[in-house]
Amino acid sequence: MSKPAVIPLQQAIKKSFQCLENNQKIWKSVLAECGPLMVSLGNLAEQSIALSNVQLSNTPLRVFPDLEERLRFKQQHAIDTVLGKMNEKMSSLQSVRDSISNQVSGVFQLYEQNTESLDIPTLTERSAITPSISDMLEWLQDADRHYRQEFLRRKMLLQTLRADDLSLLESAPKRWKSLETPTAEDQISDTLCKVSFFMESQ
Amino acid sequence: MEGELPSNRKCSALTGSSRKIKDNAADWHNLLLRWERLNDHGFDVAQNIVNLRLRRSESQHLQLQADEALPPLEPAGISVATLQQDCDKLQEVYDKMVALVTKMERLVVSQHGISELEQFQFGVEGRKTPLFHSWNAKHFEDVSVFLLDSFQSELRLKGALLQDLAHTVTSDLHVVHLSCWLLQPFVPPQVRLMLEALLLETGHRPI
Amino acid sequence: MTSVRLLSVDPSDRGSQRCRLGPGLMSALGLGLGSPLLLSVPGGSCLCTAWPRSDLTEGFLQLDLKCCSPGLTLPNTPTHLDLDQLSPVPCPKLKGLKITVVVQGSDFKKNTPPRVIHELVKDMMRGVYVHRSHVINFEDFDTEIRYAVIESITPDSTCSGLITSKTALEITGIQTLKYYESGLQDQNLVPLGGLEEVSLSLTEMLRLPLLYPHTLGSLGLSCPRGVLLVGPPGVGKTQLVRRVVGEVGASLVVVMGPEVVGSRPGESEEKLRAVFERARSAADEGPCVLFLDELDSLCPRRTATTAAENRLVAQLLTLMDGMTRSDRFLIVGATNRPDSLDPALRRPGRFDREVIIGAPTLQQRKNILSVLCERMPVYPSVDLEELAQRTLGYVGADLSALCREAAMHAIRETTKCSVEQTVGMKHFYEALKSVRPSCLRSSLARTDVCPVSWEQIGGLDDIKLKLRQSIEWPMRFPEAFGRLGLSGPRGVLLYGPPGCAKTTLVRAAAASSHCSFLSVSGADLYSPYVGDSEKALAQLFRQARSCTPCILFLDEIDSLIGSRSNSQSPNSIQTRLLSVLLNEMDGVGLKVSERRGTEKVLQAEGVEEGPSPQQLDYEDVCNADVMVVAATNRPDCLDSALLRPGRLDHIIYVPPPDHTGRLSILKICTESMPIAADVRLEELASKTNLYSGADLENLCREAALLALQDENMKASQIRHAHFTRSLSHMTPSLTERQIHMYQTPPT
Repeated sequence: MSKPAVIPLQQAIKKSFQCLENNQKIWKSVLAECGPLMVSLGNLAEQSIALSNVQLSNTPLRVFPDLEERLRFKQQHAIDTVLGKMNEKMSSLQSVRDSISNQVSGVFQLYEQNTESLDIPTLTERSAITPSISDMLEWLQDADRHYRQEFLRRKMLLQTLRADDLSLLESAPKRWKSLETPTAEDQISDTLCKVSFFMESQ
Repeated sequence: MEGELPSNRKCSALTGSSRKIKDNAADWHNLLLRWERLNDHGFDVAQNIVNLRLRRSESQHLQLQADEALPPLEPAGISVATLQQDCDKLQEVYDKMVALVTKMERLVVSQHGISELEQFQFGVEGRKTPLFHSWNAKHFEDVSVFLLDSFQSELRLKGALLQDLAHTVTSDLHVVHLSCWLLQPFVPPQVRLMLEALLLETGHRPI
Repeated sequence: MTSVRLLSVDPSDRGSQRCRLGPGLMSALGLGLGSPLLLSVPGGSCLCTAWPRSDLTEGFLQLDLKCCSPGLTLPNTPTHLDLDQLSPVPCPKLKGLKITVVVQGSDFKKNTPPRVIHELVKDMMRGVYVHRSHVINFEDFDTEIRYAVIESITPDSTCSGLITSKTALEITGIQTLKYYESGLQDQNLVPLGGLEEVSLSLTEMLRLPLLYPHTLGSLGLSCPRGVLLVGPPGVGKTQLVRRVVGEVGASLVVVMGPEVVGSRPGESEEKLRAVFERARSAADEGPCVLFLDELDSLCPRRTATTAAENRLVAQLLTLMDGMTRSDRFLIVGATNRPDSLDPALRRPGRFDREVIIGAPTLQQRKNILSVLCERMPVYPSVDLEELAQRTLGYVGADLSALCREAAMHAIRETTKCSVEQTVGMKHFYEALKSVRPSCLRSSLARTDVCPVSWEQIGGLDDIKLKLRQSIEWPMRFPEAFGRLGLSGPRGVLLYGPPGCAKTTLVRAAAASSHCSFLSVSGADLYSPYVGDSEKALAQLFRQARSCTPCILFLDEIDSLIGSRSNSQSPNSIQTRLLSVLLNEMDGVGLKVSERRGTEKVLQAEGVEEGPSPQQLDYEDVCNADVMVVAATNRPDCLDSALLRPGRLDHIIYVPPPDHTGRLSILKICTESMPIAADVRLEELASKTNLYSGADLENLCREAALLALQDENMKASQIRHAHFTRSLSHMTPSLTERQIHMYQTPPT
């Protein structure tokens, strides 16, 4: 730790990991809230499909002439409500992503400002409790990429949903579930474990 | 919806028609709240019925395929009993709903009475200063009638659903039935808005 | 350390645009963490960010292909990169960027508003280093958006740069993955030899309606909807379409005929509709060609087939009629059996154009061979011209089989003595023995395998000259005939007493004129089923036309086809065959595709609808090269209609050999025999008046047998006595009266 530029950079990295840890919790909790919403979206789609399949005039419900129209309206209404809620969740996910992105890019900027004084041997220097700066920067970048990918996939899924394509809506919860990447998420936790000594030092 | 509003609020200084209307509004709110609860409970029961029904027709189907001579499976016998039980439960829920709608009818009658009284007191023009903020008695009556209409139609639908639910065989129709029960197609979103407006007007909610 | 070993990318680095190097190398190159680095690898270049390997070892390099040249893949084999292939590049922040987005499916493209795609792509591209004309790979995102092709970047002064959230992103187009990939494939198309003319005309046909539909529209023309390619199997119809479509830059939807046929009722129709739907959606993006290969299996004639096939044909007709002007795709059908197509398909509005690809000509064969040999190491001594001459009737597929076979021979040889593998002329000759032209396979006619030279036939010099004039010259020097305004003879009739080498003469003529040779005799054509023989004869002609220039030899034509005047029943099989033959000979000039079914031919007998003169000219040019040669020893039995000019117009009498002729025949026959010095062939020749060539051959054989008989298997010489003895046993097969009859020529 001879170079003067190392200390502030390590401080910044530490801050970033703290931010990452907090945001990971938020991310997880928001995702947990999204699950039931997606399930109810799928249910509503299923109900809409069933309504399309059934000829109400051939059932005892034919005594209610405008039932189909009304039920259709209510179903659409309910779907809209759920989608609205999902949008809210997405914006909180986005804020998580942005906050991580900003932290990471801040650290990289700091590094770039001090490139002159940080040569490769210094950057790759490791000790028992402190991973090398290059490793940590790499992990931060990985985490940033992970959340960007995760967010984008989910956003894409929601963006491509259309109220008139019911089968797409029906399969949405399943696809949403398939977007979960527990290994990548574990990777983040692993990383946080790896830096835990570093975080506690000083 | 928050907790039930006290139907007979004594603390305020209102009297006469205003008093009555305000109490009615609180009653509406409470009735709707109870309706929602009943509806949710009913939905759970209905879902049970549908599941049982589907499982039964499935097992019957399997049995037919396997061997017709086999004695009916034990679970099937149980499920008949449970099915009946659940149907009874749903019937109970429905009965309670009928009671709620009867209460609503009474509220409308009362509202109508107030309206007539107002007309009698102040003529066709109505009173000079509004009862609360802007609505006149007629308006209150219209709102009540609209609410009642919605719930009456919904009740009719619920009745029909109660009749059909355990006798349907196609799964699509089952889903439609459940969807009907849950989403209450005859209770449009305006119902909620009107109730809120009513509560605002009568001062139950701060403006 | 001058080179590094290229390893495959670590899974955790996928999509990170990282390039893992040893830290020492990074220091040496003056790279910091995440510094952009341009790598030139085989097949293109790749822009990465430099990171030290986590194990800090030197000498290895892993790179992620996030941003690389289009279509770049890393080699599977161990590769070493020189250090000068790695160069740090400056990457300023970009002001603007124009890209084309490649998405997975057309559904996504259709249903997603451009605004959404823009937003998503912008998110995906933030923080990526890009290089001019590279492609950004989004596979790691695992979404419908696959690639972004960099069209241009601002500022222009830089070649590469970093995309930030402030970079203005402009999407110039959205393509589907299929379209994009077909665009990539176009760049490595194999050249086609010998199909330039057809390919040009087809290209034009495709290009006009596909690329300039508005021009056609403003001229009030309706675009052609379909093109039918007709040609024998193996001439390269399928390849031609792929090639031309690639050149035009259209996307291709291929359907093999049998592929759409399903077993359930209605399944085939459904599949066919799906195919059209696919073409339609592909056409939304750009020009598209729907290629129906083996159309005959999809659309057989409706009359004779089952109801299911009829429905399929009807469905195809409906779909083709249902194509509107807005459907910007073209249907190309290919078949080698145009006759078995439903006639309703072949009318304007459906398949309005028909392009016929015949078997390749000499020049075309040479072109094909040169294309094929380009990729093979061949000795300079290999004479393609010579090969092309020898490969009559070979189509493209045969030629490629030939080259393959020749290469195999070369490999077999070189495995013994491991020298550099080069294919020589002898390998081609070897291959020629085993690879036969496919249009002559499965033919009912025999093809000649052992060529006969003129010298093997004794005597008859004036006949040989006549034959050369009438067969060899028009076949070999058609341009000289054209120059002098001569039209080549359509047919030649050889008549004469049996055993006078008529058949052998024709074989020699065929061998010397280098053309395919189909020979058929009566027995080949007979069949107990009504109509079968006629069909077989017509089929024979079709085959002959498919491998022109060709000599079609009808041996013993009198047994094949009688005369109409003196046959007992007017409707005997001979009569019917005759009428087929007459029509086929008149129709020698007819295009393969213009031919109709057999019933029509029978009806048309005698009443010829005269085609317009220009058409005749044209047909003469392309198909005059099928020559019918017939041989008979009973010319009186032939129908006079067959002998009129325009059919078998050259009638050549092959007389029994005269004295000199007999002498030369005897010389040839005894050439391989050890004859004693006392044998006087002159004397034998003068004694054998009225002997035919076959008789003379027999005489020699008998003499040899007698010699064996006398000297108990130990005979080493045949003496004159043997010849005279055998002569005394034999009687000539010809009589004066017979010869006299032949000498009054048939009318």
